[in-house]
Amino acid sequence: MAEIRIERVTKRFGATTAVRALTLEVRDREFVTLLGPSGCGKTTLLRLIAGFMSPDEGSIRVGTATLSTPGSVVPPEQRGMGMVFQNYAVWPHKTVYQNVAFGLEVRKVATSEIRARVARVLELVTLGGLEARYPAQRSGGQQQRVALARSLVVEPSILLLDEPLSNLDAKLRERMRWELKELQRRTGITFVYVTHDQSEAMALSDRIAVMHLGELMQIGAPREVYTHPANRTVADFMGLVNLIPARVVRADAVAVGGAHTLTLTLPPRVADGQPVQLAIRPENVRLVPIGRGAPAGGDGLPGKVSEVTFLGNLTDCYVTLDDGTRVRVQAEPGLALEIGQPVAVRFDADAASVFDV
Amino acid sequence: MRAEHVVLVVAAATLMILVVLPLASLIVGSVVDGGRPTLEHFREALRGRLYVQALWNSLVLGAWTAALSVVIGLPLAWAVSRTNVPGKRFLHFTAVISYLTPPFLTAIAFVNLFGPNAGLVNRFVRDVLSAPALTFNVFSMAGLVLVTVPHTFPFVYLLAASALESVDASMEESAQILGAGRWRTAAAVTLPLVAPAVLSGALVAFVNAIALFGSQAIVGLPGRVFTLPTRIYALFDYPPQYGLASALSLIFVAITVAALYLQRRYLARRSYVTVGGKGGRPQLVDLGRARFAVLAFGVAVFVIAVAAPYLTLLAVSVSKSWGLTFWQNLTLQHYRFVLLEYDVTRRAIVNSLMLAAGAATLAVVLGSLVGWVDLRTTAPGRKLLDYVSLIPLGLPGIVVAVALIQFWLALPIPIYGTLLIILLAYTARYVPLGVRSANAAFRQIDPSLEETARVTGAGWLRTFRSVTLPLARPGLFAGWLLVFVPALQELSASILLFSSGSITLAVAVYNLYETGALKPVAALAIVTMVIITAAIALATRLGRGGAGVSVAQ
Repeated sequence: MAEIRIERVTKRFGATTAVRALTLEVRDREFVTLLGPSGCGKTTLLRLIAGFMSPDEGSIRVGTATLSTPGSVVPPEQRGMGMVFQNYAVWPHKTVYQNVAFGLEVRKVATSEIRARVARVLELVTLGGLEARYPAQRSGGQQQRVALARSLVVEPSILLLDEPLSNLDAKLRERMRWELKELQRRTGITFVYVTHDQSEAMALSDRIAVMHLGELMQIGAPREVYTHPANRTVADFMGLVNLIPARVVRADAVAVGGAHTLTLTLPPRVADGQPVQLAIRPENVRLVPIGRGAPAGGDGLPGKVSEVTFLGNLTDCYVTLDDGTRVRVQAEPGLALEIGQPVAVRFDADAASVFDV
Repeated sequence: MRAEHVVLVVAAATLMILVVLPLASLIVGSVVDGGRPTLEHFREALRGRLYVQALWNSLVLGAWTAALSVVIGLPLAWAVSRTNVPGKRFLHFTAVISYLTPPFLTAIAFVNLFGPNAGLVNRFVRDVLSAPALTFNVFSMAGLVLVTVPHTFPFVYLLAASALESVDASMEESAQILGAGRWRTAAAVTLPLVAPAVLSGALVAFVNAIALFGSQAIVGLPGRVFTLPTRIYALFDYPPQYGLASALSLIFVAITVAALYLQRRYLARRSYVTVGGKGGRPQLVDLGRARFAVLAFGVAVFVIAVAAPYLTLLAVSVSKSWGLTFWQNLTLQHYRFVLLEYDVTRRAIVNSLMLAAGAATLAVVLGSLVGWVDLRTTAPGRKLLDYVSLIPLGLPGIVVAVALIQFWLALPIPIYGTLLIILLAYTARYVPLGVRSANAAFRQIDPSLEETARVTGAGWLRTFRSVTLPLARPGLFAGWLLVFVPALQELSASILLFSSGSITLAVAVYNLYETGALKPVAALAIVTMVIITAAIALATRLGRGGAGVSVAQ
């Protein structure tokens, strides 16, 4: 069983704390992504799991074995994990075959079996036939596949990936995403994946762990983290978001601009009348043109369109509400909008979150 | 005629006179005798017992020196760049000082320690420890290797250290996570990745070792260990055998060029692409208690390569009689002799300073012309010009002297025996350094900066003077210093070219040594080191000031 249990792990570098009392559980065969801006401690956490660093506090366990505590750390070479690096780190002085075979040679596997397994794994990453080539002259995508094959051939139960796609061009990155996802499903390896790209994280992961300043902000399925971010930092990092001033009116409702009331789950310990922030993504704001046949006012907040950009698959615009609040809206592309046009906006309560101010 | 053509012609003509024609007359001299073509010189050089022995000795010296340079340089490089050994700056300093110490001074110092009869260490071993079997005769191949390695191991150290530092940490971590332990990782990943740099350093060590006339004359001749430079030198005893000297010189050049060719190939293989990314520096190996053993190794190198030579020379220079109790009778009379009574000293100091400054300036100016033509024009033949300027890399100092003698003796211009021919020799020897520095300096200046000046209406010369030159000045000055330092202590070419009026510092030391006056030699050696150090310090300070002004403007 390859579940990873990270318990209250802290890692400091001098005066800065890279990872702070972080607890995280990765289930067997799960694809978990550590997501966050650079400097959030995600790579440090990955290297702690790999055993390249020792924690200052806390412990890391895999299955029943304790791998890292402040006093003793099982070295990387005895962990049986795989790791793929951002810069591929394929060895330029070894051929593709020699690169991939290395882990098996270290494990003293018989030559005939090495040959068979290397061939199989190269087939898996569609590099069959390139065994005798030197990887340094191959494209970034092929180098990355060599690195993957090298890690997969030893059949690790856990594979760690440190921004493996960030050096590839956009198109290749897109394709490798699908391949990685497919690979993980087929092999049943537990993946821990580090990235700062939220769309990559959403596309790949079973669960996303959002990190910020060394702390775990939230962990959950992509949809959950996206639609119900635990706090403003997560909401902000997971995509575009409007933060709109609101006021608590009941135990389960807030009002925006006095008129528009939304019924939703509130954070604990908020009192009636307390000012809060409503977080809502632009695609969850409904836009209703006012006037000429449309019901004036209605159930919504009146305002005027202040900026419009037609993007093909949607219309991106800003609406300035009558109280001066600016709201970004991503409306359906069929809606013809003009600057200055009076509109009403309505928020989808199911897709909104409320945060303390 | 356009400006770039003028520059091209001037640079080409200068290189012709400095390098191409002398080399051509060396070649001609080796296959022509009395106006008729002959292979007799080469036959003699390749068959004569004396010359084959010298060739063999040179190869043996080079091989041992290269091997020991790796044995010393690689562990030091690894310790400094990859471990938590204490005293890293001290270890680095040891390598740099070893490299900067003139090799003939090391040789003289070791003669005072390991001379078969009077050497201090040998006396101690024989008279105090009563173990005559343990004495070491410096006048031997082993002694020659001993005095040469301190000058050559820094090549391996510097190249290996920079290679070890540039290996991406993830290369090694990939092996580790696949189950390879520390040693397996080192053997399978780190060592192959740095091997080209180490081999390349070993070859540079080889080339430098076999070219050092000073130590081979000081330590080799008394022990009758002849090498190519000392054999060539001996051929200039009356009556001089120019033809044979030329043939021997060309064989010497062939060996040097072959080694440098291999070195380039190894170094080219080092261009393993490192893809961008965070990658980062490898974590330092915790040596535990072993780090003190590694430090002790470094201290031993320091003692042999730096402390022993300098302390010995200092001690000898102030002792009345050199022996186990030298400290009981100290004197400054040797300094009084070399500074006040020995009139050669002052002449040599002035000559060497003038020659070094002149050669450095000429080499940088010529280097700038070549570099500018190569990088900033499309003139035909600019690549050829660049290659020609690098030819002297393959010419040992004494060969440059032989070639210049051949060439100028055939002309009716009497510069043999003057300062001018030594200046030509130094400039020719060090022009590759000037070209490399100028090339690097110009490469850093974006052409658009110069184009902006041209578009604004400045002419070519004005642009060069007010844009290119100020921006390139720090780089050019670095090149100047790079020539100035070795030129100040040059011996291999000077030894064949000097006359009493044009004697240089290193030649003065060597001549005094040949008379057997070991204590005044030590004093003169110390004086030489003081002058070299002071000149470097002064030049650096002036250079920094200049660079500062150019930035401020």
